[in-house]
Amino acid sequence: MSTQTEPESETEIEESEAAATETESAVESPGDRRRREKGERAVEEEAKRKEAEETLDEEDTVQIKVFRYDPEVEGKQEPRFDDFHVPFFKGMTVLDALIYARDTYDSSLTFRHSCRQAVCGSDALFINGSQRLACQTQIADLDSETVRVEPLPHQDVVKDLVVDMEHFYDQMDSVEPYFDADELPDGDETQRQTPENREKVKMSTRCIWCGACMSSCNIAADDNQYLGPAAINMAYRFAMDEREGEIRKEDRIKIIEQEHGVWRCQTQFSCTEVCPKDIPLTEHIQELKREAVKSNLKFW
Amino acid sequence: MAEHYSSFQRGGTRWLLQRVTAVFLIGVLAFHFFLLHFVNHASEITFAGTAVRMSQVGYFATMWLFLVTATFHGVNGVYNALINQGLEGTRKNAVKWLLVLASLLLVAQGTRVAIAMTNLV
Amino acid sequence: MSHSYDRGFIEDFGRWREFSAGMWAWIFHKFTGWVLIGYLFTHIAVLSTATASDPAVYTDTLQGLEALVIVRFLEVGLLAVAVFHILNGVRLLFVDLGVGLEAQDRSFYASLVLTGAITVASVPTFVGGVLA
Repeated sequence: MSTQTEPESETEIEESEAAATETESAVESPGDRRRREKGERAVEEEAKRKEAEETLDEEDTVQIKVFRYDPEVEGKQEPRFDDFHVPFFKGMTVLDALIYARDTYDSSLTFRHSCRQAVCGSDALFINGSQRLACQTQIADLDSETVRVEPLPHQDVVKDLVVDMEHFYDQMDSVEPYFDADELPDGDETQRQTPENREKVKMSTRCIWCGACMSSCNIAADDNQYLGPAAINMAYRFAMDEREGEIRKEDRIKIIEQEHGVWRCQTQFSCTEVCPKDIPLTEHIQELKREAVKSNLKFW
Repeated sequence: MAEHYSSFQRGGTRWLLQRVTAVFLIGVLAFHFFLLHFVNHASEITFAGTAVRMSQVGYFATMWLFLVTATFHGVNGVYNALINQGLEGTRKNAVKWLLVLASLLLVAQGTRVAIAMTNLV
Repeated sequence: MSHSYDRGFIEDFGRWREFSAGMWAWIFHKFTGWVLIGYLFTHIAVLSTATASDPAVYTDTLQGLEALVIVRFLEVGLLAVAVFHILNGVRLLFVDLGVGLEAQDRSFYASLVLTGAITVASVPTFVGGVLA
C-alpha cells in the first residue's frame, strides 16, 4: 500500500503549494481538492475493508442464522433463515452482529433496539434457544459455532425479528402498574419507605418490560388470559410496597387471585431463568399465592 | 383484561385443597404401596385377607379418605392441566361437569366396593 | 394467540433439548399424574370384583393378574411413577412455601435419582415369584 500512496502524496504537496501561490484562477479550488481527497480516501478505505474481509479466517468471523419473515413481501412470506458472516471483535454482542449484518449486507433486516445497554428492554430475542437481550448477550459467551436468532416465541411476528407486544402490554396494564396509595401525606411531606421495605421490592422494580419471561412461559403460551410473570411481578412490586396501605393491597390481591392469575403458575422456573434482570419471578408469584390464600382465610 | 375479573372466579380454594390433599396423599400412598407389596405380597392377596384389613374401622376410614382425596387431587389436577392448555367457555364448563360426574361415580363405586370388602354386609 | 403462520417446533415441545430442570420436573409430574389418575379408575374397576356374591371371583381375578409377568413389570413402572410423583410433590410443596427456591434444580435431580434407586431396589420384591 505504501508504494501506491507515496506518489499521490507528492502530487498533493505540489498541488497544494501551487494552490497557495496562485490566486482564484487556480485550476482546482480548495473545495474541489477536499472533495477529491475525500473521494480518494473513500476508495482507499473501501479497498482496505475489502481486503480485511477477504483475509478474514474462520476464527475472526461469526456466523449468525437470522429468522426472516415479512407478510408484505412476496419472497419473504415463507419464513426462512438467512446466514450472515460477521467480522468478530472482542466483546461483540448479538445486537452488534445484527447491526453489522443490517448495515453491511441487508438493510431490510428488521429488529428493535434502542439503548443497547439492557435498559430499554426492546431487543429481547430468542437466541440459541433461549430468551435473551441481544445487547446483553456476548457472542463469545454463547459458546457455539453459529448463533441462531429468532423472534420471541408465542407472539405474533410482525416482520423478521419484530413481534407484536400488544397482548403483553395489555396484561401489564391490567394489574394497574402504578403507585396508588390509600392516603397521601399532607402538603410537602415526603412519603418515606423503610429501607427494609425498599429491599423487599427492590428486585421487582428492575423489570424493563422486555417480555422475555412471558415468552418463555409454557402456560402463558396456551392460556391467553393468564396474566404472566411480568404482570404478576408488577403487582407484587406495588402490593408489597407498604406505603400504598392495606386497602389498596387487598384490591391488588383480588386482581392476581382470579382464576387466570397466580394459580396458573406451575413453577417451571422458565421465567426466572430467562429474566435478563435476574428478578426472582417464581419466588414473587409464590409469595403472592400465599398472600392470596392468607387474605381468603381471613374471611373464613 | 380487567373485564374477566370476578370474585366468583377465584382459584385459591382449589389451589389450597390440592396442596392439603397432597400432604395427606404423600403419607397414605406410600403406606398403601408398602403394605400391599412389601408387607403383604400382592400375589398372595385373597378376599379373606382383604376383608380382615378392611373390617378394621381405622383402616377402612383411612382407605375411604384415601379414595376421596386421591379422586379430588387427580381430577382437579386434570382440570387444571386443561385450563392451562387454554380450555375456555362452553367446552370448559362441559369438561368441568363431566369430571365432577366421573369423580362422583368413582367415589360412589369405590365406597360400594369398600363396604363389600368388610364383614358388615 | 392467533399466529400469522405456523412456527411449528419453534414454539413447541420440539425444543425439548433446551428444556431446563424446572420444565422437565413439570413434564414428569404431569405425566406421572395422568398415569396415577388413570390407574385409580382402573384399580377401582378391578377391585369391583369384590362386590360379586362369590368371594372367589375377587381372589381369582387378583391372583390371575398377578400371575402375569407383564403385570409384575407394569407394577414396577407404577411404583416408579408413584415414587417420583411423591418426591417431586414434596419438592413442589417446598417451592410453594418459598423454601429452597435456589435449589429447585438440584432437588429435582435428587428426586430423579432417589426414584431410580427405590425402583431398582424394589424389583426383586415385585418380580419375585413369577420369574423364579
